[in-house]
Amino acid sequence: MTKLMEWLSGLTVLGVLWATVTFDLLGLDPPEAVLQVSWPLPVFLLVALGCFSLGTVGYRVATFNDCQTAAAELQEQIREAKTELQRKGLRF
Amino acid sequence: MGLVGFSLLLFIYYTLWVIVLPFVDSDHVIHGYFLPREYSVILPGIAALLLVLFVGTFIAVVMWKNRKPKKTQ
Repeated sequence: MTKLMEWLSGLTVLGVLWATVTFDLLGLDPPEAVLQVSWPLPVFLLVALGCFSLGTVGYRVATFNDCQTAAAELQEQIREAKTELQRKGLRF
Repeated sequence: MGLVGFSLLLFIYYTLWVIVLPFVDSDHVIHGYFLPREYSVILPGIAALLLVLFVGTFIAVVMWKNRKPKKTQ
């Protein structure tokens, strides 16, 4: 099974579980609080993933060490790239 | 570091809103600090839509600026 198939099957199983709880497909009659937590759960997980990604990026950017020589070299390369591309007609 | 703080704050607020609030009595004072639950799905939906629109517009603008005129015979 390819990775895509694995991910899709995993997501489908979780989706079926969520739908069963949220829309009460088995007639289990969950308590009101469980229903209220369950229906925004996919959006909540996406937002939590987004927050985690944002936090990780922010933390790694903040704790990244300065590399003076690499910074100067990179800026020189940016200047070169800009002149080259402008010569070839790309407008910024 | 501001980004870390912001994302942490957002995560805590959103977690309280979605996970904790349903288990709190409906006459507790904390409910006044949170919008109705529908908005906990609508607002991220709008934010995602705006993000996609922004990225798409940016790509469209850059591609538009770099279109080459057709060569005439």
